[in-house]
Amino acid sequence: MTNVMELYQMLPKTNCKKCGKTSCMAFAVALMAHELTPEDCPPLKDETKYRESYEKISELFKPSEGATETGLIVHEDLCFGCGNCVVACPPNVANDPYGVGSGNAPTNTNKLVLAVENGVVKAQNLEECRRFGKNKILCNGCIVTCPVEAIEFV
Amino acid sequence: MDFGSFLAAPEIKVKVITYRDIFQDKAILENRFGEEYKDLSAVIKLDHADLKQLDVKKGETVILKNSFGRVVVKAEESGYETPHKGIAYMPKSPWSNMLVSDETGGTGVPKFKDISVTVTSAKGEKVTELML
Amino acid sequence: MEKNYHVCTGCGLLCDDIEVESEDNIVNKVYTACRVGVAHMKEARRGEADFLVDNKPVDEATAIREAASILKNARNPLIFGLGTSTSETQKIAIELAKKINATLDDTSSFCLGPLAEALIQDKLKTCTLDDVRNKADAIIYWGTDPSDSHPRHLSKHSYFPRGSEKQRGWEEERTAIAIDVRKSHTAKICGNYFFQIPPKGDAEFIDALIAGLSGKLPKTSYNYPPKKILELANILKGAKFGVIFVGRGLIYSLENLEPLFKLMKILNEKANFHLIPMVSSYNTMGFNENLFAETGYVNSVKFENGTAKHGPEYSVVESLKAKSVDAALIIGSDPLLILPGSIAKKMLEIPVISMDHCETLTSKHSKVYINTAISGVEAGGSAIRMDGVKVSFEPVIETNHPSEEVILKKIMEAL
Repeated sequence: MTNVMELYQMLPKTNCKKCGKTSCMAFAVALMAHELTPEDCPPLKDETKYRESYEKISELFKPSEGATETGLIVHEDLCFGCGNCVVACPPNVANDPYGVGSGNAPTNTNKLVLAVENGVVKAQNLEECRRFGKNKILCNGCIVTCPVEAIEFV
Repeated sequence: MDFGSFLAAPEIKVKVITYRDIFQDKAILENRFGEEYKDLSAVIKLDHADLKQLDVKKGETVILKNSFGRVVVKAEESGYETPHKGIAYMPKSPWSNMLVSDETGGTGVPKFKDISVTVTSAKGEKVTELML
Repeated sequence: MEKNYHVCTGCGLLCDDIEVESEDNIVNKVYTACRVGVAHMKEARRGEADFLVDNKPVDEATAIREAASILKNARNPLIFGLGTSTSETQKIAIELAKKINATLDDTSSFCLGPLAEALIQDKLKTCTLDDVRNKADAIIYWGTDPSDSHPRHLSKHSYFPRGSEKQRGWEEERTAIAIDVRKSHTAKICGNYFFQIPPKGDAEFIDALIAGLSGKLPKTSYNYPPKKILELANILKGAKFGVIFVGRGLIYSLENLEPLFKLMKILNEKANFHLIPMVSSYNTMGFNENLFAETGYVNSVKFENGTAKHGPEYSVVESLKAKSVDAALIIGSDPLLILPGSIAKKMLEIPVISMDHCETLTSKHSKVYINTAISGVEAGGSAIRMDGVKVSFEPVIETNHPSEEVILKKIMEAL
């Protein structure tokens, strides 16, 4: 993973404001917080002189194997399907109180963020996750309840 | 500096605590006689200081011996934060069972959690095979 | 979509909310079950059933005949295992043992047998896992690591879920405490409520805790900080529905159950505490209860002309050591794997009949090997969960491997 300074170094640094932010530094911050994507910077995307930087930044923010827009990764080789994270996840409990909220199988998986499949937990429906979106908070329910640190936010 | 480090093969005495590991349980269900079960079960987790005294690197094999049996297993570092010199951890398995005493005092309960062994480097000897 | 839930017979929790997708009698996908449950359900395989005599394939009738002949000619046969068999199978095994004057035992004789006995005889207060989910506020894991042995324990029953009287679950209304000699996965989850004691230090810790509960200074020979013990005593005193889950770690460290009885007595004077044993196989509790109903004992019995004698000398370990048994029928267990080497090798000196769903260390050294269906996956029946609740289940897939029930009945007929 990277940091704001490294990202800033790869940007045009012209403060053209085409992304909607007042400066490239502000854009770098927004990029880091996953609020904007590399495509939101027209010069980066379109101009050939920034092609290399564009590809580098896109690589950094491409959802990697198992990672999602909230930066949630499940290390499948560590996870053994104990279900602690499934029961502890606040949106899970809110959306399925008598199913996963009470420790049972999901009554329906439509709005669940975490569910156990084939003995390993899978992340899905990330728009429900509290760490995503405009009003995001640093919820860590799934991290602290995991006995083997199989869930990480990158 | 103690004299142990001058011996040809330094040996230490440890108490072994057995535990249960879920990946081991999964491996035994998939293939009891397979490599995965052996890799997960024929191991002993030692304290960092003990490993150093034995002059053994993690991943190398060690000989565990007491009056009930002798087995060769892989040595690994335990990874526990609090040091535990003199205590080692082994997943419960036929390898750990080879070292359990047959003294039961007539109760029918073997001393599964009371194992003492001497550990020495196996100098490349392979892990003991499962046949009795 | 209609939910078709199956019961998983992978461990003592008997989770009954498992969805399975299967095709052509092969299990493809398993939802909700933990890794062990998934591995257990996917264990079922195709192929013809095996019957081996002297490691050479034979047909079913020959194998049954050989098995019956071994048992008939034995002076004192041993029947062992049954922890992973349905209650129906266990009852037939008890009948068989009576018929051939056998010694009958299961793994509880060297595991949690004494605890199961105390619970069945109502000497200790207990409750169900559903009670734990709905009411428990103080939970102690003593000498056990459920995260490795019963993975869904904390998430389905004991710590994390919301219950009818515990709507805010673990965050606000439950305290999980671990007492162990090693920082296990469960101990990690318990965080500051993990009490690490030295091996064999449990009896002293119990005494110190009892002292703390009575307002005296808790002392141990290994100088465990008295302040921490007093803290624990205070949490326990304030518990409205406490539960202690006891595992082999505690049982092996105590000489007998007296300290545990003393502790439960005082905990129930000051608060409200229950005890549940962490039984690892899905129907060991069932065997204890079924045998108790039949004979008044939970394990280690010897049948003689219809009556049962009981004592440690009839346990599998002592019987093998003393060489008092001269043949063995092993059902669903692998003694060569789970017993100490010095004792297990005594089994190599007697003829063994092994009934299991896969090749085991024991079956490789058996005279007769009969491959049976996996109960819970390929054969149905009922079992008793670790908290005493009866659970019935249907097979998930079909198979042409005979079930243990069928084989035992055939052996009985052939005698």
